[in-house]
Amino acid sequence: MENHRVSLGSIQKAVWDGRLPLEIVLASSESRTFDKTDPYLIAYPRISYLPSLLPKLRAFFSTFLIEPNSQSHDGWFEFEGVPLKWHYPVGLLFDLYAGADPASKTAKDNESPNDGSSLPWRLIVHFSDWPDDLVRLDADGMVMNDAFINSVKEADFLRNGTAKGIMSLSKEDSSGLWNAVQEIDLLSFQRISSILLPQLSQPFRNVPIRIFLPLPLDAESSSLKVVQSPLPSSIPALSMQSSQMLSSRSGSTLQPQTVGTVLHTLLPNLFPSRRTPVLAKPVLHGAVIPMSAPIEEVVRSSSYGDGWAYIVVRMMG
Amino acid sequence: MAASCSTFPFLAQSEFEGACQDLADRCTSAQNIGWPAIRLLTKSDGTSLRITKYVDIPSSLEVPALEDLEDSQDEDPEALVRATPQPSLQIDYDILLSPTYQVPILYFGLKWHNHGPLGLDEVYQYVVPERYRQELKSVGVMGGISMGYHPDSGAPAFFVHPCNTADAMANIADAQSVTPGSYLLIWLGLVGHCVNLHVPRELFA
Repeated sequence: MENHRVSLGSIQKAVWDGRLPLEIVLASSESRTFDKTDPYLIAYPRISYLPSLLPKLRAFFSTFLIEPNSQSHDGWFEFEGVPLKWHYPVGLLFDLYAGADPASKTAKDNESPNDGSSLPWRLIVHFSDWPDDLVRLDADGMVMNDAFINSVKEADFLRNGTAKGIMSLSKEDSSGLWNAVQEIDLLSFQRISSILLPQLSQPFRNVPIRIFLPLPLDAESSSLKVVQSPLPSSIPALSMQSSQMLSSRSGSTLQPQTVGTVLHTLLPNLFPSRRTPVLAKPVLHGAVIPMSAPIEEVVRSSSYGDGWAYIVVRMMG
Repeated sequence: MAASCSTFPFLAQSEFEGACQDLADRCTSAQNIGWPAIRLLTKSDGTSLRITKYVDIPSSLEVPALEDLEDSQDEDPEALVRATPQPSLQIDYDILLSPTYQVPILYFGLKWHNHGPLGLDEVYQYVVPERYRQELKSVGVMGGISMGYHPDSGAPAFFVHPCNTADAMANIADAQSVTPGSYLLIWLGLVGHCVNLHVPRELFA
């Protein structure tokens, strides 16, 4: 059990340490030097949110801006024509849109040829012409903070069956949670989230997972196809095992719900098997996650700062 | 006698869909209930109910809109004959079932002739009746109304926080006798009034 805990913790640390190289350019239509503006380069934490970069970007590009009166919270990001929804962590946006081959155990054998083209991830920042399909930001970051806390509440409600945990969190801890995620301060994050998370011995009532379906980049609407359903951490054991187990112990037999059982149940056409990815593979934090991974362990170790695991479905072949 | 709610204080997907269908039917058969349009939207991944309302807002943005709003929502016959030179504010309310909270959730969007997107300030000014403003603004990070993305269209929309709905329903409704249809009406009475969506008396008959 001690080992188990250590390994969940080490996965969490790796998730929090994960960074993406970003190359951000100012939209040429907003630059005095058109497309000759120097790019802004940064290794940005995967679990961070793009708007946190805006004050630095606004300062970096200030001398190039045609519209000098724009403010940092007028800033928004685009990748290949798609305005990026800022309330999703950048790692999720990358997994959704960049088209990079996810890391996997077998990737070393067939060196990924895609790496060169998808990294650094090239984004365009705008400080004018806010797109209609993005929620506007405000000067003091309250809209972002609110979106984060709403997401935390949902995760908390699913895990516990009530949102009392997050509602009864002190104001300091509530803003501390958001600060910890913004500052990638894992220790503070663990201290506060330990108040919210059920003990290891007590299973989640439902596991906060959202599954994002593949979407063509040229789709007319930038609306993402997201699948969400109540997902208990354990499910009745499969018939063959249960008939054997039932004889030894009365009552219903449970087995941990895995990534594979979830995908097979919710998306049987894309995941005809519970054990093996056949047509599509599940990607989290840039890596293919094992079909056999119990979903509660996935979320305890690898959720984003808001408590959710956002799994992106990538088609194979 | 319809069956009571199987997961009270929550609402199951099939019960929610039945209640929406029922409400839409009753609105269609009732006359002049003050909702210009009600529409049942059925999609593969769920049903939702759209209610559209128009609210007159005064020509000068500086003037608080309170009196005019109070009048126009009260189906006062005089309000109908009063000239309205300004195009009205269109409010589309969408009732969906929250996949997280398993209770109905109220999204709404605002359209006002060729005006750009309207923000939370306009929501509190033109949509939230004055008597609820302080109370609603004082909860959470930035009040009981948030901005997010509409689950169906993906467009920015406002929504009323649903996280306390189940508790509130448990306090108000009687678990034994409440049907999905009455659940939806009680919920709408509870949540709608703070964003100017009033349940017409005729629907309780």
